Amino acid sequence: MSARDGFGQVLRGEWTKLVTVRSTVWCLFLTVGLTILLSIIGAQGSSTNVGDNAERLLEDRFHFMHQPLDGDGTITARVVRQEDTGDWAKAGIMIKQSTEPRTPYVAMLVTPGHGVRFQADFSTDVAAGAGGTPAWLRLTRSGTTITGFTSPDGAAWRQVGTAELAGLPRTAEVGMFAATPASGTRVIRRGGSTTSSPDYEPSTATFDSVRLAPAAGGPAGAWQSDAIGGGVEFADGTTLVGEASESGGVFTVTGTGDIREVPFTERGDDDIVRNALGGVYLGMIAAAVLGVLYVTSEYKTGMIRTTLTASPRRGRVLVAKALLLGTVTFACGLVASLASLLGARPIQRDRGFVPPFYPDPSLTSGTVLRAVFGTAAFLALMALLGLGLGAVIRRTAGAVVAVLALAVVPGIASSLLPVEGEKWLQRLTPLAGLAMQQTRERWDNWVSPWPGFAVACAYVALALAAAVLLIRRRDTA
Amino acid sequence: MAVDDLSFTAEPGEVTGFVGPNGAGKSTTMRMILGLDAPDRGEALIGGHPYRTLRNPLCEVGALLDASAIHPGRRAHDHLLWMAHYNGLPKSRVGQVIEQVGLGSAARRRAGGYSLGMRQRLGIAAALLGDPPVLMFDEPVNGLDPEGIRWIRGLLRSLAAEGRTVFVSSHLMGELEGTADHLLVVGRGRLIADTTVRELLARASGEQIVLRTPARSEAMTLLANAGATVAATDRDTITVRGIAPDRIAAVLSAGGLTFSELSQHRATLEEAYMELTRDEVEFNAPTVGGTR
Repeated sequence: MSARDGFGQVLRGEWTKLVTVRSTVWCLFLTVGLTILLSIIGAQGSSTNVGDNAERLLEDRFHFMHQPLDGDGTITARVVRQEDTGDWAKAGIMIKQSTEPRTPYVAMLVTPGHGVRFQADFSTDVAAGAGGTPAWLRLTRSGTTITGFTSPDGAAWRQVGTAELAGLPRTAEVGMFAATPASGTRVIRRGGSTTSSPDYEPSTATFDSVRLAPAAGGPAGAWQSDAIGGGVEFADGTTLVGEASESGGVFTVTGTGDIREVPFTERGDDDIVRNALGGVYLGMIAAAVLGVLYVTSEYKTGMIRTTLTASPRRGRVLVAKALLLGTVTFACGLVASLASLLGARPIQRDRGFVPPFYPDPSLTSGTVLRAVFGTAAFLALMALLGLGLGAVIRRTAGAVVAVLALAVVPGIASSLLPVEGEKWLQRLTPLAGLAMQQTRERWDNWVSPWPGFAVACAYVALALAAAVLLIRRRDTA
Repeated sequence: MAVDDLSFTAEPGEVTGFVGPNGAGKSTTMRMILGLDAPDRGEALIGGHPYRTLRNPLCEVGALLDASAIHPGRRAHDHLLWMAHYNGLPKSRVGQVIEQVGLGSAARRRAGGYSLGMRQRLGIAAALLGDPPVLMFDEPVNGLDPEGIRWIRGLLRSLAAEGRTVFVSSHLMGELEGTADHLLVVGRGRLIADTTVRELLARASGEQIVLRTPARSEAMTLLANAGATVAATDRDTITVRGIAPDRIAAVLSAGGLTFSELSQHRATLEEAYMELTRDEVEFNAPTVGGTR
């Protein structure tokens, strides 16, 4: 007796059941239709003005302990220690046209994650090999040409890079600086309205052996401390300004911010793929109801007895139902997510989400494919969650309430809760499966794609296991 | 407890009637045979195997349990089609059984619009789908019109005549009169009688004699003294057991009493059944006045 033969028969019978009742076919249409509809509506309701400014955007924010340097000269310093607040935290020496932000500069610097570097004018970046602190750094000005050096011991110097700063005035500012890029996002939520700003953790660096040649006339008091770019301001209204001090030839500089050209793709923070697939929040309701109805309609009418008379191996019946439902909703979900993505994209472009700020998603990109297939898989999981809960509860109303409470209510509640509450709801409820839609770093990516998907799968596995266990043990009367 | 220690065998080629009052455990017994309810102890076997182990059970046992157990939104034809697929039966069987139960013109309608009688026919079609040697029908006559009742009686007889084991439950004995060969009578989950129709009738009729006389109480005294068991059934009627009719006539003549009727009582199946299940009806109406 081959069990597989029998299983194929049950599958075929379940397919006949699924497609010969209007309500289940309608639910499938609704799953697809509502997903696309809400995705389109969501795209129409979105907007950005990121494309209004097509100029380069320069970020120039750091703390600078500096003094003027008249004509040609050299600055040498040793970075004794740098606080590791991120791979791209920067500490080093700089020659800059003035203390105005976004003016030309040349810097030799160390980073915790990317070694010693020579950088100039927001575009030049030369790596000088690995090497943490302490690090010897030197910059030499000759006319408008500035050359950077590094040394392991302060004796043997190696040239790293050279840059030409056209129009550099005779007197430039020279000194030590510290900066650290945003470490995350600070989110403030008041009454359901959310504002976010980059969050910074200031980085402190200490320098010694600072030599300026020709030596400035005055004493050390000639050094000035300035927050270039004026510190950072957070969404909650607080500000963070760096500081610098000198004591016995040791300089301590604490700063936040970064010195770079902001890439176009970082100038807006929307995840347009995820937004284009946002209709899943509506489609998932139809999918879950489909899963519930697919099994509770049998209990409601008593047809389950006919089913189990036609195939008394009950676990196998449920497995066949799950396999069929999962496959069918996945296929429909794929149609829905592809149509959503392709349908929403032109609207998004009309609303300002244009290249190069928002490049068109490519269906050959791994993350985009993961989002598209992940959305379809999520819809299938919701249908299976409905199936499992429906088989356990056996009443349509009760099972619909249960599945909505588990999978839909957290989505609504999470935008009203404090951010900490949202974080855990998105991590621990079946909604975690929607992490598959992420295609870029964002502050509200509370869980990574695959772990989130695993959480959703775990709920479904639990519900189906309980359903199989109970259908085997319970009388069907 | 719906069913307690109920054992019986239904034979091929016979219609076995399964009768008892509502709540006697008939449906529960059938559900246990079909593996839908689990008995606490013991087993139900079909051809020596538990139902659960049957590979294509519809080809072994066809059952009509509850005619309403169909999805109202599904067409009758599709309802039978998924069942056929479940057991690897060809689609042609669906058309055949639909014709067999006379639903041909309604097969493409949704079952939700069916009358109870049509649903019974659909349920019977489902039972016949796998052409099984064993058939079980729970109250198949419910909801059928007189023409339908005649049709189903003929169907049951012909299915038995084909050598199948036909097992039919009913709470009305009259429904089975002239149809069932063999009778299983249950009450409160126990088997009360396992018998043929003829035996049951004979037993119920017994030696009972109906006597109609204007002098009821005198006659009762005389006959009781003669050793008979007597019971007053009406103002002028007595039933007598334990002595022969000619002896009754002699006793009454000796006592100088007249009588207008002295006849052998012939019980109907319904009466025999009432007699058997009198104590088994779960919710007996209280007896008002009179003697029993």
